[in-house]
Amino acid sequence: MNSGMEPTPSRSESKRPQRPARVPRQPMPEQDPRRRVTNFEEVPRGYTPELAMLEASRCLECKKPKCVAGCPVDIAIPQFIGLIKEGKFEEAAVKLKEQTALPAVCGRVCPQESQCEAECVLARKGESVAIGRLERFVADYTLQSGKEEKAVRLPPTGKRAAVIGAGPAGITVAGDLARWGHEVVVFEALHLPGGVLMYGIPEFRLPKHIVQHEIEQLRRLGVKILTDHIIGKTQTVEDLLKTEGFDTVFVGSGAGLPMFLGIPGENAVGVYSANEYLTRVNLMKAYDFPRHATSPVRAAHVITVGGGNVAMDSARTAVRMGAKSTVVYRRAREQMPARAEEIHHAEEEGVDLQLLTNPVRIVVGPDNRVRGVECIRMELGPPDESGRQRPEPVEGSEFIIEADAIVVSIGNRPNPLIPRTSPDLKTTRWGTLEAEEESLQTTIPGVFAGGDVVSGAATVISAMGQGKQAARAMHRHMTGDDPPTPEAIAERLAPD
Amino acid sequence: MKEITLTIDGQPVSVASGASVLDAAKALGIEVPSICSHPDLPAYGACRMCVVEIESVRGFPTACTTPAADGMVVRTESETLRRLRENTLELMMSGHPNACLVCDYRAVCEKHKPTPSKAGTSTRCGLCGNRSECDLRELVLSSPGRNLGLPTIYSRKKVERDDPFIERDHNLCILCGLCWRICDKIHGQPAISIVRRGKEARIAASFDRSWVDSGCTFCGACVDICPTGTISDRFAKWHGHPENKILSTCMLCPEGCAFHEMTENNRVVATRMTGFKPENRLCALGRFAYPQLLQDRHRLDRPLLRESGELVPVSQEEAMEALAAALDGFRDGSFLLLGNDTELRETKHLYRSLAGDVLHGKALFMAAGSGAEDLPEELADAIESGAIRAVLSAGNFLPTGLREHLDFLAVIDAFPSTLSASADVVLPASILAETTGTFRDAAGDVKGVGPALPAPEQARPEWHWVRDLAQRLGAEDWCRFRYAPEVTRTIGDDPAPAPLRTRPRDSVKDSLPTRFRGHFLADRVPALRAFGLPSTPAEETGADKRGFPIRRKEEIAPNFHSFLVEAPEIARYARPGQFIMLMASETSERVPFTLTDWDPEAGTILFIIEETGRSSRELCALRAGDRIAHVSGPLGAPLDLSGAGTIALAGGCYGIGAIYPFAKALHRAGKRVFVVLEASSHFLMYFEDELREFCEEIFFTTRDGSMGRKGAVHDVLVELLQSGDKRPDAMAAIGCTLMMQMATEATRPWSDVPLHVALNPIMIDGTGMCGACRVSVGGQTNFACVDGPFFNGHEVDWAELASRRGAFVQVEVEAMPQNGTLAAHPCRH
Ligand SMILES: Cc1cc2nc3c(=O)[nH]c(=O)nc-3n(C[C@H](O)[C@H](O)[C@H](O)COP(=O)(O)OP(=O)(O)OC[C@H]3O[C@@H](n4cnc5c(N)ncnc54)[C@H](O)[C@@H]3O)c2cc1C
Ligand code: SF4
Ligand code: SF4
Ligand code: SF4
Ligand code: FES
Repeated sequence: MNSGMEPTPSRSESKRPQRPARVPRQPMPEQDPRRRVTNFEEVPRGYTPELAMLEASRCLECKKPKCVAGCPVDIAIPQFIGLIKEGKFEEAAVKLKEQTALPAVCGRVCPQESQCEAECVLARKGESVAIGRLERFVADYTLQSGKEEKAVRLPPTGKRAAVIGAGPAGITVAGDLARWGHEVVVFEALHLPGGVLMYGIPEFRLPKHIVQHEIEQLRRLGVKILTDHIIGKTQTVEDLLKTEGFDTVFVGSGAGLPMFLGIPGENAVGVYSANEYLTRVNLMKAYDFPRHATSPVRAAHVITVGGGNVAMDSARTAVRMGAKSTVVYRRAREQMPARAEEIHHAEEEGVDLQLLTNPVRIVVGPDNRVRGVECIRMELGPPDESGRQRPEPVEGSEFIIEADAIVVSIGNRPNPLIPRTSPDLKTTRWGTLEAEEESLQTTIPGVFAGGDVVSGAATVISAMGQGKQAARAMHRHMTGDDPPTPEAIAERLAPD
Repeated sequence: MKEITLTIDGQPVSVASGASVLDAAKALGIEVPSICSHPDLPAYGACRMCVVEIESVRGFPTACTTPAADGMVVRTESETLRRLRENTLELMMSGHPNACLVCDYRAVCEKHKPTPSKAGTSTRCGLCGNRSECDLRELVLSSPGRNLGLPTIYSRKKVERDDPFIERDHNLCILCGLCWRICDKIHGQPAISIVRRGKEARIAASFDRSWVDSGCTFCGACVDICPTGTISDRFAKWHGHPENKILSTCMLCPEGCAFHEMTENNRVVATRMTGFKPENRLCALGRFAYPQLLQDRHRLDRPLLRESGELVPVSQEEAMEALAAALDGFRDGSFLLLGNDTELRETKHLYRSLAGDVLHGKALFMAAGSGAEDLPEELADAIESGAIRAVLSAGNFLPTGLREHLDFLAVIDAFPSTLSASADVVLPASILAETTGTFRDAAGDVKGVGPALPAPEQARPEWHWVRDLAQRLGAEDWCRFRYAPEVTRTIGDDPAPAPLRTRPRDSVKDSLPTRFRGHFLADRVPALRAFGLPSTPAEETGADKRGFPIRRKEEIAPNFHSFLVEAPEIARYARPGQFIMLMASETSERVPFTLTDWDPEAGTILFIIEETGRSSRELCALRAGDRIAHVSGPLGAPLDLSGAGTIALAGGCYGIGAIYPFAKALHRAGKRVFVVLEASSHFLMYFEDELREFCEEIFFTTRDGSMGRKGAVHDVLVELLQSGDKRPDAMAAIGCTLMMQMATEATRPWSDVPLHVALNPIMIDGTGMCGACRVSVGGQTNFACVDGPFFNGHEVDWAELASRRGAFVQVEVEAMPQNGTLAAHPCRH
């Protein structure tokens, strides 16, 4: 250890960028892993303006930008980065907002490495521009500067749209339709809007005040958000069209039905779905128990089953709740669906990864409480038709890991409530809603759908992408015209 | 002293003159039942349980008030005495809720619910925090006949929760007088007494003042001596009977009172006086704040070291290395140690030696109750001028403004502060019961502390940290201090801590130290604010204007509150059997409640809440006109019973309200409806008239037989099933899990008649998103919130349900409000 104590240390200050000939990709300052395991504060700390300008200087501002093609919502990437280069952070934010309602969120949770950054021409030569970090910087900059942007909104069209679900898909639709002058009402089942952003993704990855800030922006656009309102239990989708006077409906109810393993012992006390485990901590703020009344899961050893982002979130939450944390995943590391960064963060924080390991039975005590989980080792067999190597059990390799909590994180399906109460809404065999590819119209005319309820559990940005797509189709459905472009809106609202 | 010899139940016994017949019987090991006598108090003769027969004495004198006399011949057992005692007990218990004591299902119920439900009002033992240590219950259960035939008179007195730490439920009081008599004995002048007469008689401070204003010192003697659950310790009451008791010394002030630490799972859940004498008194801090301080949820628990600007958790080794390396540079008289004056002598001794012998600096022990601003001016000046450049503060003792003048700051403490957040090294300290050694009190006496209980995570006794530090700084021979006595031996004549101006145990006004280790005590134990103790102002929560207004609210039976709430959308779509999820405030849990009634025109819904546990208590603390932060619903699948012609609806507890919508709808649809209600006792029955309107016949069952038949709903269900003309072709049962399970078992021979039960597992969202509500029905996993709540009872895995419902019992005790009812609600300070 470096025992040289620095008395009253201060952050090392970076010099003004000199625009060196070859600037490397700038890393983002992060909270020390030893510290962050004790708190729910965000891990990456974000760029300083200097670092952001330095990183932005790396962008070649390609004439035919490949990165934009990789972006599900077509953000004008070179343009907004160009504005950062010039230090015009607020203008950069406006540029971003033209295409994404949630820049502060996307900048944090999008898998840029497989989207825009994967396409960046520099990616081939070496390191792509850190587009996600720059997006986050701009969004945070406006958030911190406290300057509210103007709510840009066209005159009322007299049309009314209902949006079911206040997750990223619903928020995007509501934002676009409201900007185009429609009256929008969002129905949200839970007590806070945000969907997975509120109940699933943990505070240390996406601070909840950021989500609520973005939602405040929607309210300023005149969107009415009715929380505690469960469509299907109150009005059905058809009711919204027929008796409540909406011209169109968007279903963005997500994929909120947790799947379980189907192995013995799964209903023991101490087995949780990732949704339950994370909801207790995130939405219900059990980390602040007993000020918040929801009980936290108090366990000495938490085993998370699964290899996706949700599993990483659960495992890292367990660390912060003071538990030993182990992830059990049946395939190899290369096949883990979680983002590389999340796996890296988890390991840094002391999460133990047990790969090629599959649970076969929950070990339960006579009091019906979890004692551990029996696993079997797996090995990768020959590739199947999809090209993925199938894991196969190694006979006789069963062993028991002792634990007092198991978090099952093997995926979610759409909640069947809405299709059950609207039989005309056709579903696929995975429980997702059938929707036309281009317009995202469902099997009921005038009812559109997008996000996880259509694609199955996917990503924030794909939900937003589908939201954009559906919003355009809904506008056409209501008015018969194409929706106005950002330029057109700016023009129509220019002071005359 | 003169000896007296007498005969009791045929055995001769000699006692000192002045002893009572009761004492003499005790000396022989003969148990005479009694509840108002206490070894520390003079006889009172109020309960009349200890009646005996004495030859040539007329009537039946009470043994406690009759002095033993030479040649006396006493009988403690006879048929007449047994009858007399039974009558006395019956009379005593007629004013006390006693259904659990005469219930035929007590054994299975207590197995089903091993700890009592955390109700607001104890309407029976099953809802009483005193259950595991109740003398009255013990007396009743051990009395041979136990036929408490007189109808229970429940007087519905409101539970007094406005005082800090102590709450009182006068419905449980048997007027034994132990509380005021012990208060009198200990304080000379009792803070409380029995006021008013007859039915109105109760224990109170004079002029019905709050106890804070009554001169009560919160010594807790009355709590400890009360043989019932009447006077209870709000923090400890749900912990049950403590496993262990440790004789130790309180170190919260220089008085150093001796006390017993009552422990459970190696944690202090309460402290008690070592005896009921004036010299055993404790103050409110020692008696009530002490356990809460130890169990503070925000203790420092890992060593922290500042690296590149941030405090990061490190190993003990790393922290010590860094600390030693840093302090090594301040041996020129520029080091200052700030310690806590009311600490173990061992800790203070090693601190003194470290500061003086090892580092050649100064040590100052801050007097009890002092804080950062009490730092002597000359020391502040020395820091500002740079004469002192390094400080080790064993508490929150340094004004944060001085921080910037220091080159180095280390903090050893138990609680976080802005000071520790600005330190270079932070070490977590074990405190109070977590340490062992000796304590010198203000009078100079040396007292024992400990044995030590486990401290949170990596916290260690301060003298352990100091010893390891000194060794690293060259005092190698300190390795000889392995155990506290090895340090104790080397302490010479150490100074006593500075005394306080007034003694805390004399009064709660202006005499309690306001701080512990420089932290406001009321920050850690908010109930202390009631005594005027200062605290750091809390951030404004900002009252929320959103939410669902309560139109009307009434307590329709003890612990049962009916709420009429504006929720137009829910009122429009609700159907029988559905429920709602409520959050009293933004920090509440989401908790499910069944809908009792709704009015689509008025836009209102009606539901009934039984006050058990934190969430329901938060809701019941709201009043008409207040708003419930969130009401979402209607949830769950409605239950359609209209396919049946004759329906039996069974309800108990909140289920009485929950079957109402079925009765209403089915009766209106022309069906034959039979309603079967269950309550522990007559005074817990409600909605009789409302239900009677919508059924052909209504049956009442109570556990104590005080209304309708003695028994449970299943007795009636079985009878209906056996009857020719009233045989139902569908049944529904809503109530506690045990009631539904018993109904299931009893009706199993008629499993061709479906028995719909409303399952009530733990729920989080209630929309099918979390799976917390998993239940096994017919071998299949179901989510009760969407697939239910109604399932056929004959297919339910009841054992699994019971275990899953109990998953968080331990944690939930911690969430019980500690500030009375209203303050628990964040919107009302
Ligand atoms: C723990 C976790 C971590 C994740 N991490 C990432 C990540 O790092 N990056 C990433 O891109 N993606 C991540 N995802 C996936 C991403 O969050 C989802 O793909 C995205 O939120 C889908 O958006 P949505 O709007 O379709 O649905 P949701 O966010 O699920 O929102 C649906 C909303 O609809 C509401 N609703 C449902 N039914 C009804 C009804 N009947 N009436 C009214 N309201 C209803 C729900 O309450 C919910 O609020 C993660 C998911 C989880 C669970
Ligand atoms: S005081 Fe005792 S007898 Fe009375 S309800 Fe409580 S536990 Fe039962
Ligand atoms: S707490 Fe002590 S002083 Fe107060 S009423 Fe009870 S016995 Fe008397
Ligand atoms: S409060 Fe307790 S001690 Fe006092 S009279 Fe009533 S039962 Fe007896
Ligand atoms: S309460 Fe969450 S799924 Fe039922």
